[in-house]
Amino acid sequence: MKIEEDKEVDIFVASRIGSFKHIKYHTDPTKNCKKNIENLINIKDLRKDDSITRLEWGNAEQTEILVGKKNQQIQLYSTISGFTKSFTADFAPGHIVGLGRSKGKIVAALSSGVVKLWTRKHKDLINVGKLDRMRMCPDDDTVFATGGDENDLKIWRLDEAAPTFTAKNLPHDWLQLRRAVWVSDLALLPGEGGRLAAVCSRHGYVRLYDTRAQRRPVINVDFENMAATCIATSFDERQVLVGFGRGQLHQVDLRKGKPDKGYKGAAGAVTDIAAVRHGRLIVSCSLDRQIRVHDYASKELVYQKYLTSKLSCLLVQEARATPLARAEGGEVKEEEEQVKVEAEGERDDLDALFEMMDTVGEKPKKKKLPNLQETELPAKKIRPSTGGSTDTVVVDTDDAIRKLLRSTEKEKKRREQRKREKKAKSVFHNA
Amino acid sequence: MARGKDKKKRKLEKKQEGEDAPKQVPHTLESLREKDETMLANVDDEEKLEAQKDMELDELSTYYENSYEPKVLITYSDNPHSKTRIFGKELCRIIPNSISRYRQRSSVKRIVASAIRENVTDVIVVNENQKQPNGFLLIHLPNGPTAHFRLSSCKITPELRKDYKEITNHRPEVILNNFSTRLGLTVGRMLGALFHYEPQFRGRRAVTFHNQRDYIFFRHHRYEFTSDGKRAKLCELGPRFTLKLISLQQGTFDSKRGDYEWIIAGRRHQMETSRRKFFL
Repeated sequence: MKIEEDKEVDIFVASRIGSFKHIKYHTDPTKNCKKNIENLINIKDLRKDDSITRLEWGNAEQTEILVGKKNQQIQLYSTISGFTKSFTADFAPGHIVGLGRSKGKIVAALSSGVVKLWTRKHKDLINVGKLDRMRMCPDDDTVFATGGDENDLKIWRLDEAAPTFTAKNLPHDWLQLRRAVWVSDLALLPGEGGRLAAVCSRHGYVRLYDTRAQRRPVINVDFENMAATCIATSFDERQVLVGFGRGQLHQVDLRKGKPDKGYKGAAGAVTDIAAVRHGRLIVSCSLDRQIRVHDYASKELVYQKYLTSKLSCLLVQEARATPLARAEGGEVKEEEEQVKVEAEGERDDLDALFEMMDTVGEKPKKKKLPNLQETELPAKKIRPSTGGSTDTVVVDTDDAIRKLLRSTEKEKKRREQRKREKKAKSVFHNA
Repeated sequence: MARGKDKKKRKLEKKQEGEDAPKQVPHTLESLREKDETMLANVDDEEKLEAQKDMELDELSTYYENSYEPKVLITYSDNPHSKTRIFGKELCRIIPNSISRYRQRSSVKRIVASAIRENVTDVIVVNENQKQPNGFLLIHLPNGPTAHFRLSSCKITPELRKDYKEITNHRPEVILNNFSTRLGLTVGRMLGALFHYEPQFRGRRAVTFHNQRDYIFFRHHRYEFTSDGKRAKLCELGPRFTLKLISLQQGTFDSKRGDYEWIIAGRRHQMETSRRKFFL
């Protein structure tokens, strides 16, 4: 019943060189501009090995971000007050492949395969074997899952030395050869208490494991010659989004065991994906230094932005909104409010009427019609005969005035040009 | 109206304006090139700084700090024919401190591993099809990136009626032309990193990689200044060839499982939206 309102999505993106950015994405495409992008780390201070390898939310309110770096540093970033603390995870070699929080304590995993729970008194070390990714369970913060090159999925409990679940490889293929294993990323499906895990691999498969049923995967989806790099849960139950090393991005339905939808646009490897619940958007970042936003249902590429450095991971803030640190955002809002106040007189009596009416046609039509009226009769008051809220109509008056101004200017230019041409001709005739 | 009809008129008009009228620049595909947001020329300071930092911290930065002398291994596909062999040998003469070896049925990954062991900094693999060299794989070591080019219109010195003995073993000067986008910069830097950072100007040899409409043209010249010192005469030494980027990969060669930074295969229709769009 309503014209689509503008929604804001806060995206935090980290890159290979160590830059960390906050982007405010507006669903209204006219509002996206450079001002909405902010650097949270001063670029001048970046060193080698400052590369950010992992970003994770520190709490459920989504006010704290855990930043893991290649030089084993873990930094805490609060969306309210900026960087607060930093630790060094130098208990083993390798870069950070997984971060999380368990009862307020930080859990960190290094690529050499050591997972550690950070406490003052005793230091829990679990040696897992070479790792590509560690993820905490979204429902139960004592459960985590790990996987890597020739190191199949294992699900662990923090206080236990042995894994609660170890995956078993598929049987040998028809040539009686072993199938290679390489877990590049994994996702514990939410709402299942860590019992369902989806895994993607650089050897080109996506598998779903059910710890209650069996050790072998319940579902296996093969993608021939496509190296999967990252996986994220999608909107519906048992659907995941998988990104590939050659820039493909697919949704995989793990009920049917089939690739479902494809999202086009990336020219380089997709490195991280996130699904935005409200607005049904898919945000992805890739090695070609671009961040992309796709519409979930229509698969359309709605937004694309070049961010200067190779992007490695991203987070989307859904629980709350973070204002940009710059002041410009505020001024714009005030202006909008004033416009709204002016429009309110008409609104009261018309509002009820509009709510009764059904919207006719699609969005672009609605916008065009009032525009036409105003260009013809600029002195008349707005006549909102076509459905929709008054807010958009008020915005349109400004547009109309601008259009008029522009058109008069154009005419002036045209006239001048004609004059010039005439002159030129006369010169020719004189000659 | 036919074009020739008002030709007289235009000529007269031109005469009227006199000679001081500014010469018009013809429109070409390059001058009408679609704006690319990754070009360093049209970004603000903050982004410029970040791009600079990005280049300072990438894998090629150690070469540009002049911290090592490049050592290049040139190899071929298996059983190369004479043209490819001669081409490789001539490349060997052009690139200082390079060696040419036959592949001996070794895989690229094994070549890379042993090259790292031998402290080689770049590996070039020239592929051949129907007796013509057609592929050019450039791997920077020890940890990437890897660029894959299509090699075309390759002319070796006998085909140009030149003598390879003309090529002296002075270190050449390298000219990288028109690499403007971020991707182009990386590719240009990779090609530049093949050569020694300190040219021997005594040899008066110049190697040019000229990018035009995404095709990289290679030419090799000896130059000589005229007696008044204002212009230079060029003498081409050969060989000539043209490169076109197919993919740029992060890390060393791993076409199946690697992460690509840029690849055009499979999305040409999405990416080549217009004739005036160029990637390098």
